[in-house]
Amino acid sequence: MYRYDEFDARIVKDRVEQFRGQVTRRLSGELLEDEFKPLRLQNGVYLQLHAYMLRVAIPYGQLNGAKLRRLAEVSTKYDRGYGHFTTRQNIQYNWVALKDIPDALNDLAEVEMHAIQTSGNCIRNVTSDHFAGAAADEVMDPRPWCEIIRQWSTFHPEFAFLPRKFKFAVTAAAHDRAAIAVHDIGLRIVKRGEDVGFEVYAGGGQGRTPLLAALVNDFVPEAELLDYVEAIMRVYNRYGRRDNKYKARIKILVQELGPEEFTRQVEAEYAAQRRHEKIDLPQAEIDRIHAYFAPPAYDAEDGTEAFEAAKAAEPDFAQWAEVNLHPHKQAGHASVTVSLKPIGGAAGDATDRQMALVADLAERYAYDDIRVSHAQNLVLPHVPVKHLYAIWQALDAAGLATPNESLITDLIVCPGLDYCNLANARSIPIGQAVQEVFADPKYQREIGRLHINISGCINACGHHHVGHIGILGVDRKGEEFYQISLGGRADEKAAIGAIAGPALKGEDVPGAVKRIVDTYMALRTSPDELFIDTLERAGAEPFKEALYAAA
Amino acid sequence: MTSVRPKLKPETPKAVTAWETATGKCVWMTEVGTWSDDVAKAAAFTGEIAEARLAEAFKQEGKVTDPYFMEVTETGGITGRETIRETIRATGPTVAYGEGA
Repeated sequence: MYRYDEFDARIVKDRVEQFRGQVTRRLSGELLEDEFKPLRLQNGVYLQLHAYMLRVAIPYGQLNGAKLRRLAEVSTKYDRGYGHFTTRQNIQYNWVALKDIPDALNDLAEVEMHAIQTSGNCIRNVTSDHFAGAAADEVMDPRPWCEIIRQWSTFHPEFAFLPRKFKFAVTAAAHDRAAIAVHDIGLRIVKRGEDVGFEVYAGGGQGRTPLLAALVNDFVPEAELLDYVEAIMRVYNRYGRRDNKYKARIKILVQELGPEEFTRQVEAEYAAQRRHEKIDLPQAEIDRIHAYFAPPAYDAEDGTEAFEAAKAAEPDFAQWAEVNLHPHKQAGHASVTVSLKPIGGAAGDATDRQMALVADLAERYAYDDIRVSHAQNLVLPHVPVKHLYAIWQALDAAGLATPNESLITDLIVCPGLDYCNLANARSIPIGQAVQEVFADPKYQREIGRLHINISGCINACGHHHVGHIGILGVDRKGEEFYQISLGGRADEKAAIGAIAGPALKGEDVPGAVKRIVDTYMALRTSPDELFIDTLERAGAEPFKEALYAAA
Repeated sequence: MTSVRPKLKPETPKAVTAWETATGKCVWMTEVGTWSDDVAKAAAFTGEIAEARLAEAFKQEGKVTDPYFMEVTETGGITGRETIRETIRATGPTVAYGEGA
């Protein structure tokens, strides 16, 4: 993991003290809310429905025991003993008092954490594959490049006042677990022989105008990456629309110009960069950052026999192992998904005790490495199989071993109208009601991989556009209604879901989802044909018919 | 991005609500112009008096933030198009959280 140098430490500490001064002036009335708001937003502080919300950055979802334990302590000390992990791999505290936030940020700075790049019209927290550095299918670890982008983008003076927020995602695997197609810039690391480079996509996003990113360049050599993305940022910064907030994201610029013209402008901007302007990242610096992400000293002991014996003796463990483990590049190891989706819970929420437990487990058994996934779970990326049973027992006792990774109850859900000042409808209770229908783990496994994503408003924090089944809360004259969409996906075959028909009342949503799933089970050619594949093969019609039948 | 609240007619009874600046707690203006974190103490105002009360709230920026009108009955109870939102705002999330979940 990257460790702060003296400059990082100084920047973060100075930022805390600067914000402390701003908060003091706000509380005295010297600063009015209109003046203070842009300052608080640059420090991750929102005003939500019930209280302030503090969003803390977790760059590319990377944590260790000390950081996660501190996140737990902050929730105990300044909030109500829990936090909410988000689709940007960050954490949000829902109840923190403004007067306490400088102290909370100071506590976080002690473990090299902050709230920079979590709000405002800047380059936001870079997200990545939660199995980075561990996945058997990656060409290399994408985290060093996430870190390089983080360092380049942090307080980049040219990009501090973009037309709108700007999100990067980076993957290094053919199977995209970082949803790069729905990001302002999506990067896929590829190799041509020994040369490392990037496929560069731009102009993807969700919100009220969901669009998939266009391929702008299929191979940018690694030394040129920062100069190339800087060219994209410059075209956007100059021509992105500032007259209309709803048309200000880069996706609208790419759409209005067309991908070819946009690419031409980027290439022209890139060609016009003069020699002294080039960053031309030196190989020594690339290597220096890579060194922070060296793999752990893997345990060579083969624990397979004990693991198999434990599975044979304990069916619940076997079930969890079947669903919540991911193949690791190192023999005798696996990546573990710690589910934050218990049946009837709030997706992505973890209590202080749960966070502290996962921190302990990571330190004791898993090389002190923890990730947050954009699907709102925690991940222990490197776990020797000999420790899996002990980890499962501890997680199970803490309500963290729901065997549902990527299954129908592993929902992405935004906070919705229960917390959010922008929401039109509640999301969490809808998610809970859907989970209840599919609570039986055996039934979930029979259904197989199926992503349901729920947003409480058109801003799409719950990624409903790219859910296999998407659910969007809308307000109809003061009543909560829910629009169902079908066929979205966030992976390498990314697609925006299509609205199935008229919106439903909340109480009708679980039954409607059940009828969609029943239709799939009846139509699939075999249990190996996933929901999304059946939908693509059979078309949406039979699903729509079922959805509105007998409703 | 702030949410836009619906515009209310002058004769519609309305309460003045805001967030306490230091804590973020939701507060409602009482009959006598003080602030309470108990929605039951919210007073209903109409017409020019309501506008004057809101203007007063804006002058107390150090103390409260982002005041706005919320539709209420003549006795101050939450009503109208934003009933769900304002009820959740006044009484908290409709789902359990933290150790209570």
